[in-house]
Amino acid sequence: MTLLLAAVIVAITLGVTFWASRRNTSAGDFYVAGGKISATQNGVAIAGDYMSAASFLGITGLIALNGYDGFMYSVGWFIAYLTVLFIVAEPLRNLGKYTLADMLVYRLKDPRVRTYAALSTITISTFYMIAQVVGAGSLISLLSGGLIKAELAIPLVGVLMIVYVVVGGMLATTWVQIIKAALLMFATVVMTVLILNRFGWSFSNLLGQVEAKNGAEFLGAGVKYKNPVDLISLGLALVLGTAGLPHILVRFFTVPTAQDARKSVVWAMVLIGAFYVMTAFLGNAANVLLGKEAIESANKAGNMAAPLLAQALFGGVGTTGGEFGLAFVTAVAFATILAVVAGLTISASTSFTHDIYNGVLKGGQASETDQFRVARLATVAVGIVAILLGLLAKSQNVAFLVALAFAIAASANLPVILFTLFWKKFNATGAIWGLVGGILFTLLLIGLSPNIMKIDPETVTTGRHLIQANAIFPLENPGLISIPAGFLFAVIGTMIGAARRNEADDARHFEEMQYRAYTGAGMDGSVAAHD
Amino acid sequence: MTVVSAQPSSSSTRNAAYHQLVAQRNSFTLTMTITFLVLYFLLPVLAGYNKPLMAQKVLGNITFGYVLAFLEFVMGWVMAYIYVVKARTFDRLALEAQQ
Repeated sequence: MTLLLAAVIVAITLGVTFWASRRNTSAGDFYVAGGKISATQNGVAIAGDYMSAASFLGITGLIALNGYDGFMYSVGWFIAYLTVLFIVAEPLRNLGKYTLADMLVYRLKDPRVRTYAALSTITISTFYMIAQVVGAGSLISLLSGGLIKAELAIPLVGVLMIVYVVVGGMLATTWVQIIKAALLMFATVVMTVLILNRFGWSFSNLLGQVEAKNGAEFLGAGVKYKNPVDLISLGLALVLGTAGLPHILVRFFTVPTAQDARKSVVWAMVLIGAFYVMTAFLGNAANVLLGKEAIESANKAGNMAAPLLAQALFGGVGTTGGEFGLAFVTAVAFATILAVVAGLTISASTSFTHDIYNGVLKGGQASETDQFRVARLATVAVGIVAILLGLLAKSQNVAFLVALAFAIAASANLPVILFTLFWKKFNATGAIWGLVGGILFTLLLIGLSPNIMKIDPETVTTGRHLIQANAIFPLENPGLISIPAGFLFAVIGTMIGAARRNEADDARHFEEMQYRAYTGAGMDGSVAAHD
Repeated sequence: MTVVSAQPSSSSTRNAAYHQLVAQRNSFTLTMTITFLVLYFLLPVLAGYNKPLMAQKVLGNITFGYVLAFLEFVMGWVMAYIYVVKARTFDRLALEAQQ
């Protein structure tokens, strides 16, 4: 049943991919669907790109097992879009053509910046992708009742994402994301209505039953997070990281104008907000209807809470309705994984081809045909690397990789984006320092944190930590330290570079950038690949 | 080699609408950003340092923590709406700036 529904979803998405392939004939089509996606479509696609398995299965499980603490993730992931809306979306659309690097180079007029911006994009996308692919392996094996092992599931997901992107480019990726967002919203709304129906249309009543089952502390904060500093650090990385995530940023190049970019974010906020509000209902209902023991026995991290909840809501174990509910939600989770990895793949291969191959190696002179060919080759390479890394890391604890991706985006990309847009004296040296320093420092802190360094009890065999020792750096998420450090690196670099600058030129470049960013004038002109 | 742009390239040659746009947009962005960051960080700060308040029941069994979290969502949507309305002015000024 589950396999049948999953097969239907795969068939539909592949159908869309082959339909899109007829309109995927040039590099511009491949990178950003020719910039012809409508604001509404793009908004739904952003939602589809953003709501990963971590959101749907992860948060539902977190709330079911820890109560209120899990819901705080939902809030941070939603509020992050205000940063995107107010600061990043419109200037990015006005200044860039295909990638974040375009915007930085337009302002800083130094081709070296392109290399580092691309490295940052590829690093973030790769970490995010390993987390998704490993997650996909264990989830699909879990969801199929052990029928499809992780060793088979990882290549399966990898091959599918390569097909979507190589054959259909950004257009197919966008539609896979739209279909997935629609399925996910539909499933979540239906489940929420069924939950409300069960609990007398009262959230208070639902919480009352949670309290009766687990005690009062479950309704308040602190079941999972004992350390307040950790919470604040995590919140900072979530809220500031989204605005620097390459696979979200690339979505703003798929629409024609800055106004469309703005409308996209607003549409995405409606969907994403509604979805995250509903996670409070899903998580708490899973706790009451299934109980913590049943959820934990299916999967320690709580990833099975949402599918099992659907089973219970649709009639329970062994009923036709229940089995259908389980199968449907499982298939939706599968679609979720596919849409997110496709989005990550295309952002990595676009950055490699447009920034590194064409921008740096070919000095911006590569022909369309040539770029298109390299982009598809790069996609296959990215896909194969993701599959191999996913297989290697399949028994590791990789949940922190998503937090790491957010922390790097917030510590390396965001300071550079902000200074590019708002700081007159900012220069290329500062951007390079900010990007490299932000990435390396965040990696260092994570390497010394409990994510990597932790003594596991002998009984733990899967998800063991890499270094069996006590952590040197105490925070799970380095945001609180690494974000200010990222800004500091950018400032130091700017000062070092200032000695060799022509200030009049810099001021003029800033002024030109500002004019284009705020008015959109001349944005259809091609972006100069070099100064 | 420098790409020659067709637009005038020193700020003195920009018109009044443009200067108005930059000033208004910058102050609006700054105000909104600081506001939402402060309001958002209430949540993790209170969750970390004032657990009794977060567990306080305010509406039936709904705790202050949940009310605050739901209010954060409302805040997000309201601020997005305010921005959309304000952005109409920015769009108009942006058009005038290019005259």
